[in-house]
Amino acid sequence: MVEQESTAKFAERARSAQTVVVEAKDLAAVFEYAADLTLQQGGQSIAAPGIKGKELAHLSKLCQAKKIELLTGDLRQKADMISTGLTGADWGIAETGTLVVDSKSEDIRLAGMLCDTHVAFLKKSRIVPDAGTIEKELSRMMKTSHGYTAFISGASRTADIERVLTIGVHGPRELHVLILGEDKQ
Amino acid sequence: MIKTPGDVKTYKKDLKRALSNTFLGATLDAFASAYPASRANAFSGIDFEALAAEIARAKDESIPNLEKLLEEFTVQAQKAGAVVHFARTAFEANSIIASIAEENGVRRIVKGKSMTAEETFLNDHLERSGYEVTETDLGEWIIQMRGEGPSHMVMPAIHLSRREVAELFTKVTGQAQDPDDIGAMVRVARSELRRKFLEADMGISGANFAIAQNGAIGLVTNEGNGRLVTTLPRVHVALVGVDKLVPDVKSAMRILTALPRNATGQLISTYVTWITGAVECKSAPGSRKSMHIVFLDNGRLALAKDPVFSQALRCIRCGACANVCPIYKLVGGHNYGHVYIGAIGLVLTYFYHGRQNARAIVRNCLNCRACKSVCAAGIDLPRLIKEVYGAILEVEGEKPVKNVLLEKTLGNRRLFHFLLRSGSHLQAPVAEGRFLRHLPLIFSEEHQFRRLPALAKVPLRDKWEKINPVTQNPRYKVAFFGGCLTDFVYPEQGQALLDACRDLGVRFEYPMEQTCCGLPALMMGEKETARRVAVQNIKAVDPAEFDYVLTLCASCGSHLKEYVNLLSDEPLLGVKAAQLKDKVIDFSSFMTKVLKIDPSQFLAGGGKTAYHAPCHLCRGQGVREEPRELLAIAGLEYVQTKDEEVCCGFGGSFSLDFPEISAELLKRKLDNVAASGTGALVTDCPGCVLQLKGGMENRGGAIEVKHIAEIVAERRK
Repeated sequence: MVEQESTAKFAERARSAQTVVVEAKDLAAVFEYAADLTLQQGGQSIAAPGIKGKELAHLSKLCQAKKIELLTGDLRQKADMISTGLTGADWGIAETGTLVVDSKSEDIRLAGMLCDTHVAFLKKSRIVPDAGTIEKELSRMMKTSHGYTAFISGASRTADIERVLTIGVHGPRELHVLILGEDKQ
Repeated sequence: MIKTPGDVKTYKKDLKRALSNTFLGATLDAFASAYPASRANAFSGIDFEALAAEIARAKDESIPNLEKLLEEFTVQAQKAGAVVHFARTAFEANSIIASIAEENGVRRIVKGKSMTAEETFLNDHLERSGYEVTETDLGEWIIQMRGEGPSHMVMPAIHLSRREVAELFTKVTGQAQDPDDIGAMVRVARSELRRKFLEADMGISGANFAIAQNGAIGLVTNEGNGRLVTTLPRVHVALVGVDKLVPDVKSAMRILTALPRNATGQLISTYVTWITGAVECKSAPGSRKSMHIVFLDNGRLALAKDPVFSQALRCIRCGACANVCPIYKLVGGHNYGHVYIGAIGLVLTYFYHGRQNARAIVRNCLNCRACKSVCAAGIDLPRLIKEVYGAILEVEGEKPVKNVLLEKTLGNRRLFHFLLRSGSHLQAPVAEGRFLRHLPLIFSEEHQFRRLPALAKVPLRDKWEKINPVTQNPRYKVAFFGGCLTDFVYPEQGQALLDACRDLGVRFEYPMEQTCCGLPALMMGEKETARRVAVQNIKAVDPAEFDYVLTLCASCGSHLKEYVNLLSDEPLLGVKAAQLKDKVIDFSSFMTKVLKIDPSQFLAGGGKTAYHAPCHLCRGQGVREEPRELLAIAGLEYVQTKDEEVCCGFGGSFSLDFPEISAELLKRKLDNVAASGTGALVTDCPGCVLQLKGGMENRGGAIEVKHIAEIVAERRK
């Protein structure tokens, strides 16, 4: 019940910050979505540094089939070539439609910063009503040495020229959040 | 380079120029009109007052312990691989950062937005040391290339038009830019700056938070440049004011709830980034970022110990005090602050950038309380502004003539009232009905925007005994605090009070030893004189002898309630001041809440009436519904007008010091009222009546301006 309410609120608040929110049944569906979106937008690559093992193999096959270049690391060297950044999110905060992404890894950071479109997937069970609910977890994430914790709420924006809202100034021009209904853990 | 005039004459020239800048006027007006609704929307479901009080409380707890928090932070951050520096002065901070650059063989630097770096003029220092520094926040980049300072703490380039930006970008890129294609200009910035990010060796950021508990810093941004600044270059330096230290994550989250909502009406900014220590950075030796945090003192730790000004350190830099300031709206940030802008800028400039930069701008405050009402940290900004003004006068030892006169006369009630009575006779040759025909010589052309009233032939106090009816077995014993304007200019308002309360069981008394409430003295920075008249009034009106102390003047009422600030440290007087605070009441609240009048006591079918909400009633005393309710009960049709709670521009002696600004605010106010199509405009402060009536008279007097007591008295059956 609480989970449903939080999910609905998360979606509503995220959408109000121009985030595209979609439900996905599993990771395979997320990969499919990211690949299709990349092609639709005329993109050529997906950076997915956080995907490992079996899932990576699956994504790699999919990208090959769709003729999309898959970037898995050293993104600093590929700064100009990232069309889509694909990352997970650790938490969703419903009150503000915010993703919390543990970004200790430089490549995770760059995947979400240098891309044109950021696709993030988030387990429904990880959506909480507000930041206060996960205060302890946030403290822990920050307390780890070398922590980089990102709150992301929508696409990069500016209103610095005549207060006209313009999307995509330094970071991604679009943010898509895919909510994974089933929590297999 | 930022230039802020140190003398009022030059400052007024700048103000005049700003007032004639139509783009600036229109853009700031559009912003000011949109802001309240988007702010209210962002705070829906949140009790703002409670949140602000909670932030204030938590900040007040941290402020005396900043050194301890700094110690704790340092231990944690160093454990995580960061190097923590402490700079006592702005110059020291700049030097530390330059030597970090030197030690790391840095050539190119990218910067995220930081007011603290603006405070220390860090860019100038680094550029003089031979480094290439590029601001990467779009607004900051624009003003950097124009060689200007920010005109707003959150929207640094709000003063510029798309045309000016297009011209600039055309120069930068060598390609013509279409001013109407803002998207394209933003793309220019994206690609130009992307290159800079990739080439830079060092990134400099500020920080909105430094969390002692875990040594993390927090950055609140929208564009995403802050993330690139802290990720791509191999060295990261964060310049942080020590006032940004908070004990724990909870405190940071509390501030984060208020900051974006209050700043731009966003629930949260697009990015909030929390960084702990030397994060992974693959272009750095050992794949670890060289991470430095430079804490800036620059007087903050001493400020923390100041009994009056320490609350200035509560500021979370949201910029809301500028967003709602009626003067900021007219003249923009370049004329309303030095580096720091808005109400908090008027205060901080004196501490961080000195007297010369503060002395002219600090006078430019109406004391309308708009800033105080939206401050996310509950800072008493109007009071601090007057305290700074007073401190500057004190330090300089040379006071304006009017201050000397005020000090000499106001402190002595007999002399003061003698002068007012004499004035009534002396003005005879220039009086024309209730107005002065022409202004005395001390006024200039610029003061002609309204007609000034003549002093009354007989002040209220001299006819009080005659007009005050004897009430047998009164239900309420009420002291009437007249205030100078009701007493000596508009005694008919006092008569109206008596008429409105006729036969309702009220016994009014007019304690004759009462004098000016003292607010004009405080407005002019004369705290000691203000204290003296406060004592005089408390002696004259012992609150314990009355059920209420009623005044028709919103400013007097709100100031009487603030005697506690002036007298809190004094034995007995402090108690009386607190009692007074509880008994002061305005006319509308008295009629609706105490006397509980009802429509049967009034004639029906009154006309349309607009209402102007005096600053010192709606914000100063939190009275909002009662006057509107009262109008309805008195059979009048209240018509809402635009910006009802925005200051009319009077501000007491402000309108004499800055007539151009006062005139513009009055014009806007009267335009809004005229647009409503009402026949009457009422308000509940004789100061506002003076301003509005005088302005209306100048326009031909089509709409009648009255004190609400007058219109209510007229409607009594």
